[in-house]
Amino acid sequence: MSRTSVRLTVAAVAVAALSATAMSDSALAATTTTAPTGSLVIQEDSTFLKQAAANGIIAVALPNATAGYDAATGLSASFPVTGGSANLSGYYGNIQLGGGLLLVNLHTGKAAVFNNLAFSADNWAVTGVPLGESAPVSLLDPVGNTTVTKNAGVQLLTADDLEIDAAGAQYADTKLGTAFFTAGQHTGTATLTFTAGS
Amino acid sequence: MRHTAAKLFATLAIATSLATVAAGSALADPSVTPNAADVVGVGSDTTQAVLGQLSTDYNAFLTGKGDTTSPRLYSWDATGSSPITTKTGATSITRPNGSGAGISALNANTSATVNFARSSRAPQTGDLTTDDFVAFAKDGVSWAANSAGNAPANLTTADLAAIYTCSKTNWNQITDISGYTGPNATIKAYLPQINSGTRSFFLKAVGGGTAITPGACVQSYTPEENEGTDSVFTDSNALVPYSAAHYIGQVYGGHTTSTDAPGPLTVRNTDGVAPVTGTHTLNSSYTATAYGRVVYNVVRDGEWTGTGANPALKAIFGTTGWICTNATAKADIQSYGFQTLAVGACGSVTHL
Repeated sequence: MSRTSVRLTVAAVAVAALSATAMSDSALAATTTTAPTGSLVIQEDSTFLKQAAANGIIAVALPNATAGYDAATGLSASFPVTGGSANLSGYYGNIQLGGGLLLVNLHTGKAAVFNNLAFSADNWAVTGVPLGESAPVSLLDPVGNTTVTKNAGVQLLTADDLEIDAAGAQYADTKLGTAFFTAGQHTGTATLTFTAGS
Repeated sequence: MRHTAAKLFATLAIATSLATVAAGSALADPSVTPNAADVVGVGSDTTQAVLGQLSTDYNAFLTGKGDTTSPRLYSWDATGSSPITTKTGATSITRPNGSGAGISALNANTSATVNFARSSRAPQTGDLTTDDFVAFAKDGVSWAANSAGNAPANLTTADLAAIYTCSKTNWNQITDISGYTGPNATIKAYLPQINSGTRSFFLKAVGGGTAITPGACVQSYTPEENEGTDSVFTDSNALVPYSAAHYIGQVYGGHTTSTDAPGPLTVRNTDGVAPVTGTHTLNSSYTATAYGRVVYNVVRDGEWTGTGANPALKAIFGTTGWICTNATAKADIQSYGFQTLAVGACGSVTHL
């Protein structure tokens, strides 16, 4: 596949991802009085990014997620909370996140898009629904030194090791035609804040 | 053919029995005096049996791989002779009975005496901000009553709150349970002793997130939690909070002692949800209510993180530690009635 066709494919899936996300968000907004708030911020590990780039893999946070860069800490992505309910310290519930995640293999021209991102407190994993499919796939697991607190209604989860889930690695490798992703691969750190709606 | 089938079934039975945690007496205090460097815990009654089993299996795991130097894991029961000297060189302390007492002992001593406190409750006001509650399993707190008694099969949260605040003191005042007509008999509501994590959790759950204050009608005698063998429970009007996981471990896991057993008590439903499934496991629908709780091992933050950290603590309790990742440990947790936590959730820390 040529570079042009890769760009077209990426653009197409990105638009589709945006459309799916917009539908999801508006549907949620209609069912809640006061929407839950918060965000999942992933601080990407520079070593992981270098290794990914060396293998032709790029990861892009799709709107309405936002990407950021800090000279000291590097790249980050922030996914806004759009719905759901969860008791993080009770380890149950589901938090819906806006935006999407695009993975592209520049060597093969293949791409994967995940929409309907969420954090499943039951499974303790960031999940996403592959474009054109309906079942969520566990993508990332917050492990390592993990702390859960709740103050004044704001629940906070921090993890100094955000690892690729076995299911996510298998799906991404298959979809992108690579063997780059492995279960337990360190991708960065995660900070999830969540204030329940009412 | 029959012989072959019989042999096959016999082989399967042996394999199954080997893969299953041995039933029988719940484990008790350490059988040896732990070394000074060993990891020693005290506290919760609810989790004492499973921690006893985990200790035995963790130490066997180390020995099995030829590790003779890593600190071993030991857990002292909530009840028994007192005072206790928890390990070599330790200060003699009053045996901590319950989560609160265990946490107090952790805070009042150093690692020379206590390394961790078993806790069946989450952090609460009064705990130190430096107490790290390390999650390892899920439980559900229900209530129990005499199987031949006057209590219904189900009570609502409103009923339980009314009973424990004494606005309902007679079974005939329970009028919101379909198919139940309570007899004219005085309810005898019991609570576990004051340091019990189950007690504090139950009072908070019944109060909708804010602990209720027990009324004067609540029995002043406080039985040891999860012990239906206490003679007060022969009373047909008695009820008491009860750990559903501990109940499953007792009744279906066979983990009992002469006192640590359900006796005539059976656990009942709350708000129409059964705490135990038909297959004798903790009901996920129940643990996803206000009556679900996480159980913890509490450590000092300075020994969990930073330059003063004791690596043995994370090797045992951390997200990649033995309890959270080893198949035998997971089987232990389930055999004692608890639900395992997902990777990453098990070993995560919460604190004030």
